[in-house]
This record gives sequence, structure tokens and C-alpha cells, in this order.
Amino acid sequence: MRTVVVILVVAALALVVPRPVHAQFSLDARRIGMAGVSLGRDGSARRYNPAYRAVKNRSGGPGQAKATIPIPLGLITFFQDHPPNRWGTDPMFNPDSAAFNPVELMNLVLNPPLSYEIKTAPTPTNDVEFTIGKNQLILNLGQTRVLIPEQKFGLGMNGRLLDLGFGVGGVHFGVMGFMNYEVEFVLDTALRRVLRDTVPVQPDSTYRILTDAVVQTGIMPTISFAHRLTHGKGAVGADSLESADDGFYIGGALHYYLGATYARGVGPMGFTVGNPIFAASPGVLLDTRVQTSNKPFGKGVGGDVGVAWISGPFEVGIGVNDLGAELTWSDTKIQRIQYDVAGDSMSVTMTANHTETKTKLPISYLANAAIRMGTGTTVGGDVFNAGRHTVIHVGAEQRWGPFALRGGVARDQRKKMQFGFGGGIRMGSFGLDAGVFTHSSTLSETRAMTLATSISVY
Amino acid sequence: MKAFAVALLVVVTACGQGKAIFNVDAFSFMQGTGTDTIPYLIPPVGSATASTVQKISLPPGFGSSVVDSVRITTGNANLENTGGSGTIGFQLFFASDSAGTYTAPMALNIPATAVTGTQTVPVVITGDLSGAVDSLFRQETVWMRIAATGTNGGATPVTGEGVLTALVIRIVLQDKVL
Repeated sequence: MRTVVVILVVAALALVVPRPVHAQFSLDARRIGMAGVSLGRDGSARRYNPAYRAVKNRSGGPGQAKATIPIPLGLITFFQDHPPNRWGTDPMFNPDSAAFNPVELMNLVLNPPLSYEIKTAPTPTNDVEFTIGKNQLILNLGQTRVLIPEQKFGLGMNGRLLDLGFGVGGVHFGVMGFMNYEVEFVLDTALRRVLRDTVPVQPDSTYRILTDAVVQTGIMPTISFAHRLTHGKGAVGADSLESADDGFYIGGALHYYLGATYARGVGPMGFTVGNPIFAASPGVLLDTRVQTSNKPFGKGVGGDVGVAWISGPFEVGIGVNDLGAELTWSDTKIQRIQYDVAGDSMSVTMTANHTETKTKLPISYLANAAIRMGTGTTVGGDVFNAGRHTVIHVGAEQRWGPFALRGGVARDQRKKMQFGFGGGIRMGSFGLDAGVFTHSSTLSETRAMTLATSISVY
Repeated sequence: MKAFAVALLVVVTACGQGKAIFNVDAFSFMQGTGTDTIPYLIPPVGSATASTVQKISLPPGFGSSVVDSVRITTGNANLENTGGSGTIGFQLFFASDSAGTYTAPMALNIPATAVTGTQTVPVVITGDLSGAVDSLFRQETVWMRIAATGTNGGATPVTGEGVLTALVIRIVLQDKVL
């Protein structure tokens, strides 16, 4: 039990840090060719900016397809390397194999190899060294030390799982599902110095990770309103689709959150060493307060707001989601979970039951802008934050008749610059696009390049 | 400790391929417990062997790992002879249990050193243990026996003790955890 507890704690520390950069990308080769930026009024704009409900989604225009079908070229290579008839003995899938790596398998599940790897980043090699004596413990994590954060760190997701409803005029009635999880860690100074600065573990000391994790899900009946406040000059008697949308748009949505269930755990985890350090096995420290809902339907009210302005070839918008979204859970139990060193077991104590607790949803925002320059050139960019790291994309597309050339740059979640380029050809109602983007691993400055291809239906 | 070491290796596994290197100061666990000293008494015109056995605990979870190398990187002992003239050599044996160290093949042999009268003779104990004991170092527990083997060609007994002053074992593994 002791082993499992500590492994979970420190593994969590490791696994949350190296998030895959390309996870932020869609499977649309056009977006990928522009380093992730979308020049169309696609799902992202409408998801995060309710004002876009009043803007017509004109398919058929430059870069605006009705549907995109990815061509998973990466699967060809994958199945060559891992023939399905050999999965039983393939080290990738066979836990009994000496070469089986659970982290690699997890990465495969989280990042399916749909795109083709043109250039793979060198696999980071990293030696770790442990110096162990009766009263000595030094951990040298090598390059991995750079992953040990100075500040609070973690991972999270705030998603809307469905959006069902109908609209009348500018008013839309619907039901959305939401799911949110946030996991945050803070290393205490002593542990951070041991892991990051190779400072020896001191006798009679305690080393802690402070954890705060919450997961909540539910549905939210929603009433939203989007309206075109003004009609631009170009929209009056417009003779082109471009100017027909000129105007200032506003939108808002009021959500009544009905939480189905939630759980939250807060508390320190860590270990204590004696004097000498290995006079006895280090004691595991786990003292967590866990809150869980006894009944569904935590309740709360929140909203989204957004504005968009379109003037001829220029378009800009900003949307903010889940403002004031605080859920009140009327029937919650609070338990204290502790690790009993003497018994090498966990103890669970009820500290309160049928009590009221509250949770919040993080605020997300998306700001986007695009300009069509009249010569077949479209330039755009967006800034996106879903409650954590901000991601910035800037890209451009140049069209010559049926042909398109694209390029872009992005600042990823780890603040590294990434690049994209690509092209496409449109033949009637269909288009074939290819895009290449770069991405980096955690420990390597060398960028990998991935090719994505897709068919667009206009 | 085992739990913590394995947890850290999981961290490294998540971040890239590499090696896990353990520098185990075995002497620090032996010092002051009596196992760091091997008294010897070699009868005239004869030979004798005395041993000390020490348990070495390693992180669990390396059953599937590949052991790159096992070396004694730092090892020192003093032969504190109190009488007689002869030679003393050291041999190291490793096994998965204490009794097995008495039947295991020798992993390291330190050539005999001559001693005479009352004197202290330093001996260096270093060498590569790879190959012979690789599979043992994938386990959680390894037992080590240090034997002092002496010969006496004289007419008086050779007496004294071998006192270990340093012993660091460096184990290099491909970090294949779980």
C-alpha cells in the first residue's frame, strides 16, 4: 500500500507536466497548416463566443467548409510498425514484455497517431542517479530537473459535452453538458530543492506535495440570445457575401448549472525520514480531506458573453464563458483520509455529512481576429485560454484560384514557438488539404514535424 | 525508501528514456554493526576463511529491467595484522539469500596481500561485477558475502582482522519500471 500511495503521488507530478503540444490542434489540415488558427466561423468561435450565433456561418467562402474529413496517414505507419495480428506479442500492447512501457501506451491512447510524422523529435535520454547511504539520500534527476516547477502546477479540462436545443429568432433554448476537472500541486520548498537543486535529503525531515483536485460534471439548461446590433455600411444593399455580414454583434447565455456529481480532495502528501535517514523505512504522509456529493443537482447560475464586429474584410470577436459559475451542493459528505504508517493502511474518517459545499467552474475566453485582404489573402489569429495556459495562434492563407498556400506561428502551452505551413487544392465541392506543424517534446529543443491531410466538403 | 525511489523512476520514465543509476554506500549500513570487520586466525602451515554477510535492499519493480553494469567503484579495507606472517585475499559472493552466498560462484576476487607482524596494510577493493550477478540486481534484495581467505606458511598463527572502510556499489539499469 505504501508503495502504491507514493508512486501515485509522484507519478502524478510527472505525468501532468509534459502535456502534448499538438493536443490543442484539430484534425483539419487547413488549421494545422496555419499553426492552429481558424479563419472560419467554425465551432470554436461559436463555442466560446455566443455573439457568433447571430453571424451567418457562410460555407463556401474562403476557408469555410461544411465538413472536414481527416485522412489518417499516420495509421499506415502505425500499422506497419504494429501489425494487428501481432498485437498479442507486440511490446507496445503486451504488459509481459520486457519492453512494455505503460507511459508509451497511455500516450498512444491520448494522442492517436492519425497524422504522419515527417520528422520525429529525438527521444530524450535522461539518466537519473540516486546516492543511497544509511544517512544519505541524494537525487539527481538530470535533465528532468527542469520539469520540477517553482510554482503551483497541474492540469485541467473544462468541456461542454453536448449542445442540444432550438432557436427562435435570436433566442436559443438548449441543454448543454459540462465536465470539469482541475488538479493542482504545490511542492513545498524542501521537496522542490531535493528534486530540482539536488540538495541532499536531511534527516528528521518531512517533504510534502500539497494537492487540490476537483472533478464535477452535470448539465446546464441554457437560454442564450444573440443579436446583430448594427448593420455596417457594406451590409446595406450588399452585393457580396463578405459585406452582407457587416455589423456589430452581441451575445449572451445564461446557464442554470445542475451538477450531477462532484468530488474534491485537498491535502498534503509526502514522506518523512528519520535519523539516520535509513534507520527505518521513510514514513508516508497522506492526510487528505475529501468532499463528495451525496446527491446530484448541485445548483448554480453563470453565463457567457461575447461580442463580434465585422466590417467588410475585417472581423474581430471575443467571448468569455462561465462567468460567475459557482455551484452549491446542498448535500455533501466530508471525509478525512489518512495513511497509517504503523498499520501500513488507509483510514477514512467522516468529519461531516449532509453539509453544504461550493465549487466553481474556471473562466474560459477566446479572442479572434481575421482580415481578408482582397487579393486572396486572409490573415487571422486567436488567443485562447481555458482556465490555464494561454495559447496564441497567428496564421495566413493565400489563395490563387483553386490553390491555397498557408502558414502560421503559434505560442504553445509551454510558451514555445511552433510553426505551421501547408497548402490545398479545391475541386468543386471538395478540397484536398495538407498541413505541417511543428511540436516539441518536454526535454528537447529539437522540433518534430507532423503532416496532416484532410478532405474538405464545401 | 523503496517506494520513493520507484516513484521517482516513474517520473523519469514519463519524461524520456535513460538509465537509473544507484550508488549504494553499502559500507554505511555495515559500519558500527560488526559486519564491517572480519577477524581472522590462520593456523600454522595452513589456510582459513572468515566471512561477513550483508543484506542490500534495492528499489522494487526492476524485474523486467536490463542491468547495464554492476561495479564496486569505491572499496577500501585495512588488514590490521596482530601477529604472524601470511597472505590475506578478499572474495565477494552475491546471492538472493544469505545461505546462497556460501554456494554462489565468486563474483570478485581481490588478490592476496602479504601481512607480517603487527602492521596495518590497506587493500583496495574495486572491480566489475557485471555478468555474474546481473540478474540478482533486478531483485529487491541482494545478499553479499565478503570472505577473507588467508594462508600461513609460517610456524606461528596469523591473527588480525580485516576492517572495511569504504564500499560503494554502482548499479546501472535501463529504467524499465513496472
